[in-house]
Amino acid sequence: MLNRLSVLWTVTALVISMLPQLASMPFHLVPITLLPIVWRLMAEFRQWKPIPMILRVLATALAVGALVTTYGGLMGRRAAVSMLVLMLSLKLLETFRIRDARIVVSLSLFLCATQFLFSQGIPMIIYIIACLLSSLISFMYLQRCEAFSVLDEEPESDRKLLTELGFGASLMALALPIGITLFLLFPRWGSPLWGLPEDALDARSGLSDSMTPGSIQNLFMDDSPAFRAKFEGGVPRNSDLYWRGPVFWNFDGSTWEVSYLSRNLLADNKPDPEKAPFRYDVQMEPTEQRWLFALDYPALTPRRTKMTVDYQLIASRPVTRLLSYTMASDPGFQDSPVLRQTLLRAALALPEGFNPRTAAMMADWRKEAGSDSEIIRRALQHFNQQQFHYTLNPPLLSQHTVDEFLFDTKEGFCEHYASAFTVMMRMAGIPARVVTGYQGGFYNPIGSYLLVRQSDAHAWSEVWVRGSGWTRIDPTAAVAPERVQQGAVDSLEQRRYLLDFEWLRNARNTFDLFQRGWNNWVITFGADRQSRLFSIFGWEYLGPAKLVIAMIAILLITGAVIFLVAPMLLKFRSSRKPDPLLRLWGKFIKKLEKAGFVSHPSMGAMELAANAGGQLKYESDAIFRIAELYTLCRYSRDMGNEAELTELINCFEIRSAPGS
Amino acid sequence: MEFSLQTPDSEGHRHDRLKDAVNTVNSIVMGKEQQVKLAFSCLLARGHLLIEDLPGVGKTTLAHALAAVIGVRYQRIQFTSDMLPADILGVSIYNRDRETFEFHPGPIFSQLVLADEINRATPKSQSALLEAMAEGQVTIEGETHPLPKPFFVIATQNPLDLGGTFPLPDSQLDRFLLSISLGFPEPEIERELLTARDRALVLRDTQAIISPDDVMQLNRDCQKVHVSDALLDYVQALLAGTRNSRWFETGLSPRAGIAMLHCSKAYAFLEGRDFAIPEDVKTIFPSLARHRMSVPHGMETSVNEQISNLLNQVAVP
Repeated sequence: MLNRLSVLWTVTALVISMLPQLASMPFHLVPITLLPIVWRLMAEFRQWKPIPMILRVLATALAVGALVTTYGGLMGRRAAVSMLVLMLSLKLLETFRIRDARIVVSLSLFLCATQFLFSQGIPMIIYIIACLLSSLISFMYLQRCEAFSVLDEEPESDRKLLTELGFGASLMALALPIGITLFLLFPRWGSPLWGLPEDALDARSGLSDSMTPGSIQNLFMDDSPAFRAKFEGGVPRNSDLYWRGPVFWNFDGSTWEVSYLSRNLLADNKPDPEKAPFRYDVQMEPTEQRWLFALDYPALTPRRTKMTVDYQLIASRPVTRLLSYTMASDPGFQDSPVLRQTLLRAALALPEGFNPRTAAMMADWRKEAGSDSEIIRRALQHFNQQQFHYTLNPPLLSQHTVDEFLFDTKEGFCEHYASAFTVMMRMAGIPARVVTGYQGGFYNPIGSYLLVRQSDAHAWSEVWVRGSGWTRIDPTAAVAPERVQQGAVDSLEQRRYLLDFEWLRNARNTFDLFQRGWNNWVITFGADRQSRLFSIFGWEYLGPAKLVIAMIAILLITGAVIFLVAPMLLKFRSSRKPDPLLRLWGKFIKKLEKAGFVSHPSMGAMELAANAGGQLKYESDAIFRIAELYTLCRYSRDMGNEAELTELINCFEIRSAPGS
Repeated sequence: MEFSLQTPDSEGHRHDRLKDAVNTVNSIVMGKEQQVKLAFSCLLARGHLLIEDLPGVGKTTLAHALAAVIGVRYQRIQFTSDMLPADILGVSIYNRDRETFEFHPGPIFSQLVLADEINRATPKSQSALLEAMAEGQVTIEGETHPLPKPFFVIATQNPLDLGGTFPLPDSQLDRFLLSISLGFPEPEIERELLTARDRALVLRDTQAIISPDDVMQLNRDCQKVHVSDALLDYVQALLAGTRNSRWFETGLSPRAGIAMLHCSKAYAFLEGRDFAIPEDVKTIFPSLARHRMSVPHGMETSVNEQISNLLNQVAVP
């Protein structure tokens, strides 16, 4: 039978593991879930009897009915997990035996594993540890309860919670090597069995299919990786590192959007991959978007990807997990020496009635300038020489975004510059478009690869010049050349957040380091990375079979260490310690034998004393005293005094002849 | 040897009453101090007792006396060759008024059961009893009835060479913690027996000294008796010794080893110690091992001799 403590712990473990579900399930299900728990606790304190089977079946049916009406079925992870929560809580109605309590605790463990379907962030680790600890402690109590039930006794309950926690923690620590081995080596599916949790990727969705002022700004705070690129040969100069992403043609006065045309027309002319100077492997983090990133201009089209007329790489499905592809790029490629009418029109289109001041200025420039390139140069000079500021916290803009930016605020970052520049060009009759993507990257000398983070997001312009085709112009570089040299954030000396203190930044960076490690090594550790786990040892690719072999080998070695070596070490240590008590007793027996007494190793101390005392009558009192003291030292719970025994034996002498 | 029990008062009182009980039983069953002590330690270790001896040496008197001083409900089952399991366990009888089957518990539903001449019954009836002993419950027609607590069985068995006996198989003998034999009394004791009051009358006047609750509590006290590593080594050495085919056909099982430990603790407790010593183990060992083991084929010695040989061979750590 269960004792009170194990009931309480079983309920605690269950409640802890269902907490996040309780918080996220529809509100009317919460009382249904809590009711059986409350009933079970009352039953424990009021000694209620288990309720009849028929009522339990009825309660189960009602609960399933409530679930079906809430979720419209039992499929889907929310409904399925809610079902598990509800059934587990109902299980308490019949949990009166150790076996049932074990089931409840085991399923609580399973329940807390289902949390990973919803969230995989760092706070989850702490929560899961709490779940594991409470479940382990419950198991311990149940085990103790069972062990003592044979004796019909209550287990001692005066152990401190801290002791239990320590014990649970040490059990977890013991299991850690095995857990890590299984995590790293248990073969994974190439594609996940189910989608990643909703919020696993939210924070790093990266660039999107439209650009409003501020959309890239959010990314500057995000140091999580966007992708990594490993180059064959050297890494290109920073000014060549323009990673092409979404290209925007349509502008409605405030928002830039991709055009239907450019998205669906395929590139009819590609660079020759053989002649492309940059060859590299990209390992892209999931974005839930369809863009793949490549340096200008991509020469290869990865599998299930198309290359559009403006050289965007668009995958047929959103990238939901780590994706690797090989890419080649040729920066010298000439993009569209001839521009189709439809595209030309799209590249000049502007909304009516926006930004009149800019329009007037551009009309002036057009009159004064002889050629398109002169206007371009003049625009860049304008940005460079006027009091333009590169800042990540620009003032808000209202209707005429470009006018206000150019003439009033003069503060902004790449988005503002690219947007304003492109609008200026179009007003001057030069076809132009906005390109977003990433610029630069952090070279990791240890892994010798380029890490491109979300904070490297960038926006620039492209203008179409007769004769040379689309040409990249980065107006931000004209204002803040160091942006291109050092990256967006590092180029600013100013505060990035409202509360920007040294220690806070350090704490943030440290947490970010953990977060990145967690993302890198836990969340995005998929089949692909797993197969390359041992590449530093020279095994480039490990298939499932080899992984299983490696896993079994490591588990066997770990097992051998735990089960063979550890006891041997322990034994070795204990055998080195001689037992002073036995030596002392041996000394005493030798003294008796000198007097002619025949002892035998099978004699107990008191037996020996009785025999010897009979033979050596004068010493019998001393012999008995020594035997008693020896018995106390050797067999009792710390009642003997070894020092006294040592003295007694050392002083013991035989004067009488045996048998006298 | 005087060791004081360093225990709280209530425990000390319990222990005093236990001593009284032992003395009372000794005054009824005269001249069998050792066997009485073993019987008590068997009860304290929550084991069942097997008494093997000729009829008329006082087996029943011992069981009666134990039941009387403990104050438990007592039933005697006389085993015969035509006995059926229902005679022991009870039977469900149809009640016409209430139109249901009603369970009528058999004699086994009491706290102390004297199973007299157990080896005269057929194996089927024997196993009905032995199952109840092992499980502490009885299952009849799919329904489980728990037996009262504490539950002790004292079984007597006539020597196996007597006619009309069905020997108990080894696995069932294992259910008994200890087996003792009483033997004929010493001449002076016998003389006293002949002249003293009728034992049955003495028994009738005997008052309960300890209660069934006390017994449960004493069980727990016994479990608290300290066992040192050295003593565990000794118990293990003895177990290993029994498994050597030089001595016995089959050795003692780990379950018997646990029983040995429990029993040694109980004996130490009876002796007034809160720790067990090798002498305790040595004392209970023959009673514990005798009915569980047999001598290898073709050996001239008896089990008792082999046991004492083994005890003389194994060194006390």
